[in-house]
Amino acid sequence: MSTSTRKITIDPVTRVEGHGRVTVQMDEQGKVEQARFHVVEFRGFERFIQGHPYWEAPLLVQRLCGICPVSHHLAAAKAIDQVYGMDPQDLHPTATKIRRLLHLAQVFQSHALHFFYLASPDLLFGMDAPVEKRSVGAVAMEHGELARKGIQMRQFGQELIKALAGKKIHGITAVPGGVHKTFFPHEREYFLSEEGSPSVDTMIQWSLEVVGFIKDYHDKNFSMLDSFASYPSGHLGLVDQNGGLELYDGLMRAIDSRGGITLNDAHSDSYLKHFGEGVEKWSYMKFPFLRHLGREKGWNRVGPLARLNVCDHISTPLANEELREFKAYTNGRPNNHTMHSHWARLIEVLYCAEAIKELLNDPAILDEVERPTVNRRPEGIGIIEAPRGTLIHHYQVDEKGSITKCNLIVSTTHNNEPMNRAVQWVAQNVLDQQQEITDGMLNQVEVAIRAYDPCLSCATHSMGQMPLILEVLDADGKVIAEYRKDAT
Amino acid sequence: MNDGLLIFGIGNSGRCDDGLGWAFLDRIQTEAGFSGTVEYRYQLQVEDAAQASCAQRVIFVDSHDGVLPGGFAFKPCMPSRDFEFTSHVLPPRAVMHFCQELYGKTPRADLLMIQGVSWDLGEGLSPEAANFLEDALGFFRNELLPGLC
Repeated sequence: MSTSTRKITIDPVTRVEGHGRVTVQMDEQGKVEQARFHVVEFRGFERFIQGHPYWEAPLLVQRLCGICPVSHHLAAAKAIDQVYGMDPQDLHPTATKIRRLLHLAQVFQSHALHFFYLASPDLLFGMDAPVEKRSVGAVAMEHGELARKGIQMRQFGQELIKALAGKKIHGITAVPGGVHKTFFPHEREYFLSEEGSPSVDTMIQWSLEVVGFIKDYHDKNFSMLDSFASYPSGHLGLVDQNGGLELYDGLMRAIDSRGGITLNDAHSDSYLKHFGEGVEKWSYMKFPFLRHLGREKGWNRVGPLARLNVCDHISTPLANEELREFKAYTNGRPNNHTMHSHWARLIEVLYCAEAIKELLNDPAILDEVERPTVNRRPEGIGIIEAPRGTLIHHYQVDEKGSITKCNLIVSTTHNNEPMNRAVQWVAQNVLDQQQEITDGMLNQVEVAIRAYDPCLSCATHSMGQMPLILEVLDADGKVIAEYRKDAT
Repeated sequence: MNDGLLIFGIGNSGRCDDGLGWAFLDRIQTEAGFSGTVEYRYQLQVEDAAQASCAQRVIFVDSHDGVLPGGFAFKPCMPSRDFEFTSHVLPPRAVMHFCQELYGKTPRADLLMIQGVSWDLGEGLSPEAANFLEDALGFFRNELLPGLC
């Protein structure tokens, strides 16, 4: 073992959205002293939106992201509804249904993108696979059937977004107190029928198949999936009035690593009372935490794994059956296996497909939407479950309707501490006391981060390309080795 | 989904001449006798192969950072396994490769490159690029369109 100290830097982290960097500091014995996941981009949406008319917020903030613009659009819209003078229950039922349908399409396509395009190469080819295999291109070449289904599932979600919002990315659906556009019968028929493209029934069938794929993969690789980057944590997500999985509008529920309730179905209006945000000088991304537990104990995972941990059931039958099996694996206790996030994500894909079908078959989805004139309020808070987790938008406006304050707690921000813990796990269990750091070892750092499907651009509110840097520092903090993956 | 001619315009109209591909699509849709499907793209994606597989003829239109004789170039786009570990940069030939491998279809594909000179943030084409666009449209109108639609 060398007696010199090292710092490993991975920059950029690949197959995630946005710019991230990992640094691992080792002492003279090659033992890991510190491992951190840095987010090094900055955007400043919270600041430059100030002064804009409140009704512009849902249009402007969706530019935070090209992957989940719908989530930002709808979270902002829910907040702006309140500024306009309407609470969620006051909206025309069809407006809420159209928004829900849009949101389900967004989660469906985003989850398909993550699993098939970003995560599946790690599972299909292994963490030590050569770089040229770590892409959806390689998946397409060697697992054509899986790739075709993945592509068409993502396409289905995007086409549904386009039908509702006019465009696949950065369309417009929600307006203060309602929606912009009626959903037409011929548009609905496109998704119910097999003519031209696979129907929603096919999406449900394929979703079931891919859940079957991940369960089969788990059966064969449970040792790795159950242990890799696993650690106890809190979990946060929205639930409906009955404790069911809820993505569009619900109550905030958090549990600790053993299942104890730490936030008991709190209304969105109270988020400031419950959440604080820590800041570190080495990252632009904040660290949210439950105030009553403090910064050290109050952090939570968010996203598919957390949502399935906090909910009691799922409203659609097939996904609920899968949830039961998922929960049974940990005997009903919270599932803290980071790699099970993929399993949870695919159960949510199934849920979305089923729920999309329900809404498409609801006659009210085609109704005209009325939007009453109401009295404006000075403040609005919108909370939604984005694909990557709990997303909070909060706006204050002046008497002229100009935005004076904006606070965004983005899903990936909640996962900042969890991703750092995951990086620490890999550093201590894979990199510790290794004389040679291989490319496969570095990829394991990325696999741990990737399980969270982070969107770093959103979380720092940046125009970016997606690079990862792994640095090795000596005991004095000097960079003595650096591994870099260029972003494209 | 389309059955006949499919044209992908690639670029970004917020980056001056990078918007040439989109500007070309804007114009050809108004051409008499044009009956194809147009798709605007910031960048190509793997799923574009699915759409290409349903077409009989595919044309990719993109701006070009370099000198082209006459301001534009038109050449065949042959399928090629040309992708990296990321899907963020996917050349037209890779899309046609996925079209061939995933869907078993090889529609004729061509690439129309139009010369640009300005890539700054901002809307609108530079005068030079606007002229090159007219030349490319003339070629499309006179040489290609009669045999396409």
